[in-house]
Amino acid sequence: MAPKVPGRLTPGEHDHGPIIQVRDLKAGYGDRVVLDGVNLDILRGETMVILGGSGSGKSTLLRHLEGLQQPLGGSVRICGIDLAQASDEQLFALRRMMGVSFQSAAMFNSMTVGENVALPLLEHTDLAESTIQLMTRMKLQQVGLGGVEELYPTQLSGGMRKRASLARALALDPEILLFDEPSAGLDPVIAAGLDELILDLKGTFRITIIVVTHALASAFRIADRLCMLYEGRMLAVGTVDEIRNHAHPRIHQFVNRVPEDPEPASHRYITGF
Amino acid sequence: MQVLDSVGRYSIRQAEYIGGLTIQFWRGLRYSVRSHPFGRRGLRWKRVVGQMAEIGVSSLPVLCLVSGATGLIMALQGGAELRKFGAMEAVINLVGTTMTRELGPLIAAIVVIGRSGSAMSAEVATMAVTEELDALRAMALDPIDFVLVPKYLGMLVMLPCLTVMAVFSGILAGGVFAYFTLDLTLLQYFQRSAEILLMRDIVSGLVKAVVFATVIVHVSCLEGFQVRGGPVGVGRATTNAVVKSIFLVVLADLICTAFFYFFWR
Repeated sequence: MAPKVPGRLTPGEHDHGPIIQVRDLKAGYGDRVVLDGVNLDILRGETMVILGGSGSGKSTLLRHLEGLQQPLGGSVRICGIDLAQASDEQLFALRRMMGVSFQSAAMFNSMTVGENVALPLLEHTDLAESTIQLMTRMKLQQVGLGGVEELYPTQLSGGMRKRASLARALALDPEILLFDEPSAGLDPVIAAGLDELILDLKGTFRITIIVVTHALASAFRIADRLCMLYEGRMLAVGTVDEIRNHAHPRIHQFVNRVPEDPEPASHRYITGF
Repeated sequence: MQVLDSVGRYSIRQAEYIGGLTIQFWRGLRYSVRSHPFGRRGLRWKRVVGQMAEIGVSSLPVLCLVSGATGLIMALQGGAELRKFGAMEAVINLVGTTMTRELGPLIAAIVVIGRSGSAMSAEVATMAVTEELDALRAMALDPIDFVLVPKYLGMLVMLPCLTVMAVFSGILAGGVFAYFTLDLTLLQYFQRSAEILLMRDIVSGLVKAVVFATVIVHVSCLEGFQVRGGPVGVGRATTNAVVKSIFLVVLADLICTAFFYFFWR
């Protein structure tokens, strides 16, 4: 049962069309433009993977989808509401229907894992403390982390911290779930486990999932559709097969892991460049 | 032309900083008023009590030592000069009024900046670097409400308390001087001190403590919120917080002293 969340957008208010619309988004830091003219529609219930190399602007795009940054131009609309024009109340209501799993997990180190997961429930619902404790245990079990409520985040491994962060993101039963580099810093087995967990959530709750990654195996495993960013521009949006077989040379290079300079580095070294 | 450009840029940066500080102050004040101890939001008060313990307990021993030493230095220096005029007993007035009006609040503020202000700034800056502040925003929680307000409320309670302790330590040290040089018992010394202190002296000291608490928390947190550049930025933010807090506390002290001088003689 989903907890009662004050200020949540009512069902039916945003049932038609894409749940997220990005139009001509221009974004950056100071004078440096990181994203330019980005357009993207994300449909309700789909898993969209945002691909791109380092510095391509995918984490910046994710920050704009979370409403954590003001665009330099263009718009990001969630449920039809332009985040740049939204009032504080609208922005808070939108954020309550979103869960975010950060690249660094971003757990509060001064709180136990249980307190971390319970925080959104304590702050945004009127549930009794015993109910919150029960829900906290359920959310942690859902991500395969039973019995760690009393531990502090620093006592967990990297993979466990990411799972705990996911449990916190799931606390308010979000409609949209955002992942920033979920498999970064994890070994292949744990990363594969996290992929299965994402697939499981998608199958069970029909949540709209947005994943930023450059891990191709993971992207192709979990995605319904993918988009590819290169130097701040959107190169393509399509299904797994469409992206795999795309004719654009940069996408072909990225998908087939072709290095920038085909001559091996060792050869350059031996021949004195 | 280049000098004008630099001066212009510097002025804009300072104006932006003061603007940021003002906006943060009003938002902090709005959330502080809403943080009543009952209902769901009462959970903030657990954090406030934690902050009070941290600020008070960590600063008290060093504060008493510094304040006591200052009171004794003032009595020794004042005594050396006042002896020439045969007015040794004026040392009691000197130590009592100066510690209550001026040095007690100032020493308490400077010790708290060193112990708690720097720690606050480092904590907030680390939260910014490790995406914890973004995580709060993503959970529809305002970091000013969740992070700053408990520190502010804790400081608002503890800095006046620490100021009282600083004043007491300074006057007590003056009492040790009086015991050995004026043949007064400590009880007589405290009675004389209580006679010469006016309500204005006590109120001005406590008002200053409240103003300094506001300056310390807001400057320390703003430096943390605005951190750039990873772990190196955390160190820079902490240093900036200490330097700016000391400067602004002294400036606020000057303004408060002038206010009481002109409006409550």
